[in-house]
Amino acid sequence: MVSVNAHDPERQEVVRRRTVLLGGGVSLLFAGIASRLYQLQIADHQKYVDLAQNNQFNKRVLTPLRGEIVDRFGEPLASNRQNFRILLVPEQARDVDAVLDKISKIVPVSEEKRARLMREIRRRGAFTPVQIADNLSWEDFSQINFDLPLLAGVLPDVGETRDYPHGADAAFVIGYVGAVTERDLAAQESDDERVLLRQPGFKVGREGLERTYEKELRGAAGAMNVKINAHGRVIEEMADSAVPPSQGKTLALTIDSELQAHAMKVLAEPTEGVDQDVQSAAAVVMDVVTGDILVLASTPAFNPNDFNIGIDPDLWKDLNSSPYKPLLNKPVSGVYPPGSTFKLISTIAAQRAGVKPSETAYCSGRVWYGNRYFHCWQRRGHGTVNMKDALKHSCDVYFYEIAKTLDIDLLADTARKFGLGQTYELGVSGQQRGVVPDREWKKEYFAGNPAQQPWFQGETLSCIIGQGYVTSTPLQLAVMTARVATGRQVRPRLVRAVGDLVLPAPEAPLIDVEHDHLDIVRAGMNAVTNEWGTAARSRLDDPDWLLAGKTGTSQVYAITAEERARGLTKPEDLPWARRDHALFVCYMPFDNPRYACSVVVEHGIGGARAAGPKARDIMRAVAEKDPASRQPLDPRTVARAPGLRET
Amino acid sequence: MSSIILPGRRRGMRDKLSRLHWPMIILLTMIAGAGIVTLYSVAEGNWEPWAMKHGLRFLAALGLMIGIAMVPIRYWMALAYPTYFAALLALALVPVIGEVNMGARRWIEFGGLQFQPSEAMKIGLVLGLARYYHGLRAEQVSHILYLIPPALMIGAPVGLIFIQPDLGTALLLAATGAIMVFVAGLSWRIGFLGVAGVAASAYGAYRFDVLHEYQVNRILTFLDPERDPLGQGYHLLQSKTGIGSGGLTGKGFMEGTQAQLKFLPEMQTDFIFTVFGEEFGFVGAVALLMLYLAVIYLGLSIAMATKLHFARLMTLGVVATFTLYVLINTGMVMGLAPVVGVPLPLVSYGGTVMLTIMAGFGLVMSAYVHRDQDMYRSGDFLG
Repeated sequence: MVSVNAHDPERQEVVRRRTVLLGGGVSLLFAGIASRLYQLQIADHQKYVDLAQNNQFNKRVLTPLRGEIVDRFGEPLASNRQNFRILLVPEQARDVDAVLDKISKIVPVSEEKRARLMREIRRRGAFTPVQIADNLSWEDFSQINFDLPLLAGVLPDVGETRDYPHGADAAFVIGYVGAVTERDLAAQESDDERVLLRQPGFKVGREGLERTYEKELRGAAGAMNVKINAHGRVIEEMADSAVPPSQGKTLALTIDSELQAHAMKVLAEPTEGVDQDVQSAAAVVMDVVTGDILVLASTPAFNPNDFNIGIDPDLWKDLNSSPYKPLLNKPVSGVYPPGSTFKLISTIAAQRAGVKPSETAYCSGRVWYGNRYFHCWQRRGHGTVNMKDALKHSCDVYFYEIAKTLDIDLLADTARKFGLGQTYELGVSGQQRGVVPDREWKKEYFAGNPAQQPWFQGETLSCIIGQGYVTSTPLQLAVMTARVATGRQVRPRLVRAVGDLVLPAPEAPLIDVEHDHLDIVRAGMNAVTNEWGTAARSRLDDPDWLLAGKTGTSQVYAITAEERARGLTKPEDLPWARRDHALFVCYMPFDNPRYACSVVVEHGIGGARAAGPKARDIMRAVAEKDPASRQPLDPRTVARAPGLRET
Repeated sequence: MSSIILPGRRRGMRDKLSRLHWPMIILLTMIAGAGIVTLYSVAEGNWEPWAMKHGLRFLAALGLMIGIAMVPIRYWMALAYPTYFAALLALALVPVIGEVNMGARRWIEFGGLQFQPSEAMKIGLVLGLARYYHGLRAEQVSHILYLIPPALMIGAPVGLIFIQPDLGTALLLAATGAIMVFVAGLSWRIGFLGVAGVAASAYGAYRFDVLHEYQVNRILTFLDPERDPLGQGYHLLQSKTGIGSGGLTGKGFMEGTQAQLKFLPEMQTDFIFTVFGEEFGFVGAVALLMLYLAVIYLGLSIAMATKLHFARLMTLGVVATFTLYVLINTGMVMGLAPVVGVPLPLVSYGGTVMLTIMAGFGLVMSAYVHRDQDMYRSGDFLG
């Protein structure tokens, strides 16, 4: 035997033992693997089934159609139209930048927009789709769809967007919608609502009725399970499991869109002989029986469709800096001294103070009171005038004489009874109260200046002709006129029906005054237009539609003696912002009132000259159409998009 | 050369074929069959692009295996060192002439064929170490001087593969080498010291940025898979979801939603066990594990049955490599091991690995066919 034994028994024994050990170790490790399988597949099975379900199924929120806003006859003022857009699910795109680069070749995505998208993705999380672009052309949208296999995480989508078919005409009534802000999200009551608001491109009401009736208009979200693959591509839509969304409620307004459009056109027309292109004006037309606002017009106006798409910053700057305040809803937010239109109130207050309509005053053109002259607008005077004549010719001196002894609190009480100094539930924001001054008001107003706190009778002389502290909105003037015409506490309203619910017309009890007192006011107003008073030019020729009105010209700037000496007497010579406001209020028919109207033309120089003709043109159209005689829309007959009917 | 004839004789081809370990061949075929079925499902019920090719490759590899088995073990023993050094040379050439692919330099072109030297080294190292320990006496195994050659034999290829970089293969190779040194009879004391040393150097590697960022990330993600569910942890989470949602009996053949909806990456290669587990459930997955375990046990029994020390160690080395593949891959897809890109042997799609595995089993078969032969330590033939 050689010394070297290949069958080294010791060596063999070690390997044998170690092999057995190895076999044991491997068995243990396999047992470990098997127990891990047990843990995943048996013990935690359900957890992974759920995860797999989540992988396969995505819950897609079905966005409800926003409720329409229609006029009193069902004509849509705010509706929805198709919007081709592209969304991106960051989680499925993985490399968002690369995907955006590819999209940019079809639809440019600016650096600014990209940065905003990135912020949005960080804020909302990788699972929420973000909107890359909307309002795409059909060509671009088709191209994106064609390239879809190369665009991971991109979802083309046909959404709905708000459309305002009447554009600027009803802008102030409707308001507009805008993108959801963090504050909107925080204000939501439920998580479901928040999920809905987080849907890409979702809009909420920002202004006007769109904002006030947000809850009713929004509708309720639906949901559908969709089967997706790892790239987020929808493979199958589980229509069976879908809960359809329900469209928001239709808001039926009192507005007559035809008359509204007509009024907007009339307001924008320049006054004859006055060099001023842009008319900054407001008009309100009311049904004096129901309180329905038929027209709520304001010029110049903005186009709410510009806001819907996302307003251009330059346009926004222009709108904000314009002296004609195109963003101000002048009928409810514009505050003007009512001027002589306030004499309707003064006439009633005078009678309440005991003045008889037959009593006369002599107008020489001016009156001395306190330490100065109070001038009549008619410098050469009106001679002897009674109450009706004072209204017909708008004689200031007649009212000065009354004001010498009239209690300001009685005047203020009368003004309030007829609707001044208060706001109304219209659903549009920014309503102003105006000022109806009395002793208490003055004390508060001059809280920091005790010397000014007592009421001076001289101030009543200013107030009685609608100057001084007195201010009002065009809406208030229309309400005042309606109340004078009917003797009832007419309340204006803008919304006739919400969904299927028709709201009853607000109650209008008789006003707590002697109703005989109103007769002389109405007669005076009739004389203004139909008996060659201050607004004879603004009469309507139709005997069925006798228009009774009252002019007003409220001073914005007093021409100084020095200016007068320089020969500056005509208001046209003043810059626009210093010219007097022109006002006109009226109602018709005189013997059986149905419609009341107020028109304010900012810096329009004279009520008879600028405001009266506009009111006449508007009221002529109202008389022709006579909307109150027509059956308004029954909201239950409003057709909805198929498949979206509320269940 | 001695004249002493030890038991064992020259045999004819027919005789040799009958001496093949047929149960082992049947088991390997069953495992490859599971691979074909799963690849068919991954391709959404298509033989293309994977299932058919996989089957054909297996048949070719089976032929190769039998061919290797027919070659007398003494030739393999004679080729052990040359194979090792050829593989080492090829590995060393990779940084010089290798192809860059997926950020790593792993391939070299060889006569128009792409060739991965690290795969060859899996066989080469097993052969080399087996040959080395064949020549040592029992008391020499734990002698510090005799530890230097195996340390170098393991360290050199592991280092070269690590810098490619291919952490998975480097670790696999290092573990295979360590197991072989262990079964060869390394003393427990030195073994523990070695493990401690490896642990310390691994920590050092982490501390001193030796690892690539993606390698560090893989390890961190392994330690905390929910760390980054859309990044590194995404694959693992999706994989666990696939297996877990399979349940006891699975979703059924071709019904795996995770797989069919492409939530899983690399389904045909590294994550194929997930598809299998999702579609065939706990029952199917355990059955597959049992097949693997049976192959391993048979391998160990073959090692016991051979007389030749070289053949014994070589068989254990091949079985160890195979075992590590199975354990690392299944552990990886279930979150028990880092995602290092190790395929599931014979089931994952991929020609190179199948070739390596079947070549390895060819050597095992050769050891079994020639189990009665023995040799001197020097390598001189005894029979």
